[in-house]
Amino acid sequence: MSGASAVGTLEAESPQPPVKKQRKQHAPDSVLGTLAKIALLGIVDAVAVYVLIQLASQHEWLIFAVALAVTLVINWIYLRRGGLPAKYLAPGVFFLLLFQVFVMAYSTYIAFTNYGDGHNSSKEDAITSIQLAAQERVPDSPQYANTVLEKDGTFYLLVTEPDGTAKLGTTGEPLHEVTPSTTSSTGQATGVDGYRTLAFTDLLQNQQAVTAVKAPISDNPADGSLATSDGSTAYVFAPKLKYDAAADTFTDTTTGAVYKDNGQGAFATADGQQLSTGWKIDVGFLNFQRAFTDPNLSGPLWQVTLWTFAFAFFSVLTTFALGLFLAIAFNRADLRGKRIYRVLMILPYAFPAFLSGLVWSGLLNPEFGFINNTLLGGADIPWLTDPWLAKFSVLLVNLWLGYPYMFLVCTGALQSLPEEVDEAARMDGASAWRIFRSIKLPLLLVSIAPLLISSFAFNFNNFNVIYMLTGGGPRFDGTTYDVGATDILITMVYKVAFGGTGRDYGLASALAIIIFIIVAVISTVSFNKTKSLEEIN
Amino acid sequence: MSSEVVPQRNTNANGEIKMPFGRWFREKGWRHIVAIVAIIFSIFPLLYVLSAAFDSSGTMAGSNSLFSRFDLGNFQQLFADTERPFGKWFMNTLIIGLVTSALTVFLGALAAYAFSRMRFKGRRVGLLSLLLLQMFPQLLTVVAIFLLLNYLGDIIPAIGLGSSLGLIMVYLGGALGVNTYLMYGFFNTVPQSLDESARIDGASHVQVFFQIILPLVTPILAVVGLLSFIGISSEFVIASVVLTDPESQTLAVGLYSYVSEQRSENWGVFAAGAVLAALPVMALFLFLQRYITSGLTAGGVKG
Amino acid sequence: MKVRSETLNKSVTRRAFAIGSLGTAAAAALAACSGGTSTASSSSASTSAAASSSSAPTGAAATLTLWTDAERSPALKDIAAKFKADKGIEVKLVVKDFASVRDDFITQAPTGKGPDIIVGPHDWLGKLVQNGVVAPVQLGDKASLFNPVAVKAFTYEGQVYGLPYAVENIGLLRNKKIIPEAATTFEEVVAAGKKAVAAGDAKYPFLVGLDPKQADPYHLYPLQTSLGSVVFETGADGGYDATKLGLDTEGGAAFAKKLAEWGDKGTKVFNSNITANIAKEKFNKGESGYFLSGPWNVPDAVKGGVDLVVDPLPTAGDKPAQPFVGVNGFMISAKSKNALAANEFVVNYLSLAEAQDSLFDQGGRPPALIESFDKAAADPIVKAFGEIGTNGLPMPAIPQMDAVWADWGATELKLIKGGVADPAAEWKKMAANIAAKIKS
Repeated sequence: MSGASAVGTLEAESPQPPVKKQRKQHAPDSVLGTLAKIALLGIVDAVAVYVLIQLASQHEWLIFAVALAVTLVINWIYLRRGGLPAKYLAPGVFFLLLFQVFVMAYSTYIAFTNYGDGHNSSKEDAITSIQLAAQERVPDSPQYANTVLEKDGTFYLLVTEPDGTAKLGTTGEPLHEVTPSTTSSTGQATGVDGYRTLAFTDLLQNQQAVTAVKAPISDNPADGSLATSDGSTAYVFAPKLKYDAAADTFTDTTTGAVYKDNGQGAFATADGQQLSTGWKIDVGFLNFQRAFTDPNLSGPLWQVTLWTFAFAFFSVLTTFALGLFLAIAFNRADLRGKRIYRVLMILPYAFPAFLSGLVWSGLLNPEFGFINNTLLGGADIPWLTDPWLAKFSVLLVNLWLGYPYMFLVCTGALQSLPEEVDEAARMDGASAWRIFRSIKLPLLLVSIAPLLISSFAFNFNNFNVIYMLTGGGPRFDGTTYDVGATDILITMVYKVAFGGTGRDYGLASALAIIIFIIVAVISTVSFNKTKSLEEIN
Repeated sequence: MSSEVVPQRNTNANGEIKMPFGRWFREKGWRHIVAIVAIIFSIFPLLYVLSAAFDSSGTMAGSNSLFSRFDLGNFQQLFADTERPFGKWFMNTLIIGLVTSALTVFLGALAAYAFSRMRFKGRRVGLLSLLLLQMFPQLLTVVAIFLLLNYLGDIIPAIGLGSSLGLIMVYLGGALGVNTYLMYGFFNTVPQSLDESARIDGASHVQVFFQIILPLVTPILAVVGLLSFIGISSEFVIASVVLTDPESQTLAVGLYSYVSEQRSENWGVFAAGAVLAALPVMALFLFLQRYITSGLTAGGVKG
Repeated sequence: MKVRSETLNKSVTRRAFAIGSLGTAAAAALAACSGGTSTASSSSASTSAAASSSSAPTGAAATLTLWTDAERSPALKDIAAKFKADKGIEVKLVVKDFASVRDDFITQAPTGKGPDIIVGPHDWLGKLVQNGVVAPVQLGDKASLFNPVAVKAFTYEGQVYGLPYAVENIGLLRNKKIIPEAATTFEEVVAAGKKAVAAGDAKYPFLVGLDPKQADPYHLYPLQTSLGSVVFETGADGGYDATKLGLDTEGGAAFAKKLAEWGDKGTKVFNSNITANIAKEKFNKGESGYFLSGPWNVPDAVKGGVDLVVDPLPTAGDKPAQPFVGVNGFMISAKSKNALAANEFVVNYLSLAEAQDSLFDQGGRPPALIESFDKAAADPIVKAFGEIGTNGLPMPAIPQMDAVWADWGATELKLIKGGVADPAAEWKKMAANIAAKIKS
């Protein structure tokens, strides 16, 4: 098979007959292969059994069923005779489903909720938090030194009034005077007969129960109740808001205002006064509706969309052109120093992007930056604040950040091109450019075209470079929105969804999905164009 | 050097010195000029990083004189800080990066082989889905990943929050992403006739994969491995949510703490750390270069 | 100390995207094959980490988790050790990247996996309360031991939510070698600065770092307040009232005009090309007599050889020049399973002078505990910052503040850059935009 590359050349030039479906003429696996397969599958199954046991012990039956199904599918894939593609794809797909598809599905779910600041968790959590925050210390009430006692599993608070009387109480049992059996040197009651005094370690064992104790200070609950948060100090609290579980309402104890579940994930009064903490609810298509009606979005949308495409397109074009050019320039075995050239060339890629962004914004500073100051002899060019120059600068910096990637990939790609093509063509007297244009580039595109599409998609959502350098600015004149000449769709989404009075994950997800659909459609169309390239082989 | 120079062509192997200048320039000289220009473009901005790394005054203006001061204060601070174990971070990054990129290459190659060499139902849809998955804006991934790992950790503590194994698994979720796509393109350039003849010689599909295909696509395997490593070693968001313990953090997460405090950020120490963090990448690249530049023509077709 | 949450938020995300995008492009393993190789290298570290981070579901845990940043972590070591010795409870200091503490806390607290205690600035409170993740703290009689401004800052909707430890604000840094005498009005400051430039002692009359994307409303705020414009008016309960935006006032318009006058096309007292980094460098090199900045830039300035004094903030109008005051403190998770231990540690241990002293020694921020502050105030610079702070306004903690920064900064930048025909109208437009955002 020493003439392999020549064979390749011939094949590349002459169209191949259509590829046969599913070849079945493979030799059977070797004994070693079979053993390896059994061993690997055994490990997978062992892990799976462990996971299944864990799930069962925690009564996670739904997930148990899913995990069991996945395990069975994996075994089926590897134990049956056919289905070769699945054997190669399964491992990667497993992780893909777990960590990428799940994420997408979750985001899609979020788009139908109001998840975000103020709607962060469940309704129960919200109610607990509101109750916690509503426990206000009764003004001018004393601070009590406190001891926690226990009797028959119930915890009691023992405090000493300023006048020296010791009082004991617990939830549902108002404070009443007791005679302490032990007192501390400061006269504080520390024990009562028949009750066990809790040491600090005992307190720790029962933190939640102890902090939950609310001993009314009198028979009138409105006077407030005693509670402790650290076990050693107690205060008299009165709730500002009272929760009525049956009616599912909060009532303000001073004004009498009633806060009801307003159906939007918050408690609110009839006239719209809302409690700060809300919860997450499903809102249906509301976020999508907002996306299409928000003037923040519809206003400058066309300009931004156009620039997004231009940015993605030119980013791919420039990085690919430069990367390819450099790859070709150094793709000569007898070029001295190419190793060191290559290493230096990939450096921009090896540094944290935001560090580079900071440096570039320094370099582009109109007054102090190296480019104006030294390179252009003190010119005053507003690189980042003129709308067109800012677009140019963003592309320039993205070129700097991105060409090492293309350079690497093209270097790899060039290696797999058969040299014989080059030589044969050269003997025919073709110019170097001709050779490149009509032979090398088409071959190269076979391997690189998928990457270019994927690179376009990446740049379409290339949030970082825009945010680092210009933050989307300079702002458009004539619109009141925070959108500028270098904003792309994803940065605009970010500003709209997170730039208001809080982060709105629901809206952000909805917008992300809309953008995703746009890019997906475009990519599908271009993807189908690659079919012709693929057929070369 | 000698091991790397592959006898790609021998036509002008001895012509280098005798070559007249004009011809030398046309053949090779311009390449050096291109190299110098490109390198200036590449590394000039990074000189500011280097300059800041060796200047303990802690600013990073990116505009003023380079190397106006030169001291090792930042590096000393980097290694002296017991709260921020730079050496540990370095090792964590190497381990997580190498393990993940090796597995990425392997998983990706498996999938690329299937996509390139087999024709099955759903193949093009599968390829397209891979492409589309990468396009999903990542605005919300962190929340979902946190919740997922939180849940997984309850079942299998070893892969929950705080574990580097869990982090590696999350990274593996991207194994079939852009890199597989890239490898797929390359596998397509390897002539099918090679597999055919191997199979006629009695090779199984596994043998074809390991003994015929993989050696032929070494350049792209090396490229993908390198790209993965760079990606992982600078990945910040997921790592910072998953790795909670300073001892287990990676360089990107740890170093970031030097500049995350607005106004009291320490760019000098950060730059010093970034310079050191770039070294493994360079070392790996130097190591992999021989594979990247040994393609089809390197005689690896022996099977 | 990090006061500008909006900016923060942005910077986090931009990094998030920067790096996340790269990271997800990489990764992979065959479940089967990886089982052996990949786990071997990392499993030991990972299992121990996992074990310690998943706190026990019941109250029995004897470990408190405290999220801190690297800067404060060493200062907390001793007090945590003392707590462990006294009470047998370990305080696990988890060093988090500061910029992500708030948002990660909001996301993680509801799952029960979040920390018990976090350290942060008081202006996070609005967000934390809104998301129901932070619990009130009873300071009781201890409240009187603290700087009242600090306790007030940590009071939100009538409740105290944190134990303060540091109060922080800007001041006017002056290089005595260049400008020997203090001045009181901004006009005098500018005149003195210009004189120094004319005499060849300095290159810049005045320095303040301006972000090239959004200027710096935080640093310029005292000038704005001295002209009579605040960002939010205070309501009846003494907290900021989100419905009363104070920007669209005569004072605001006057400030807008002044910005244009001082800006690039005017007297060039402010230079939109001078970033925080450049300003710091120039001041440290002795190229200007004045630098409007905070305690965070003091150590490097002294190291750079500046003969430093901190002057009261100069006034541009007839009102006092009030800076924003940021208060740092410890907050307890509403979902903490160790609430009792957390309260014990925060209220009874972190309020000790030794804890506050040690935090001051590490961070250099004026302590909130009066006793510690008095000790620290032996340093005239700390004292000067402290005095300026007593006159300051707490950074608004209300969530609506998030909607303000972007427009506020962009407009200031535009005015400083110059070329705006009617600065007052531009300012008014900004106020209207912000008001619209808050309403929606």
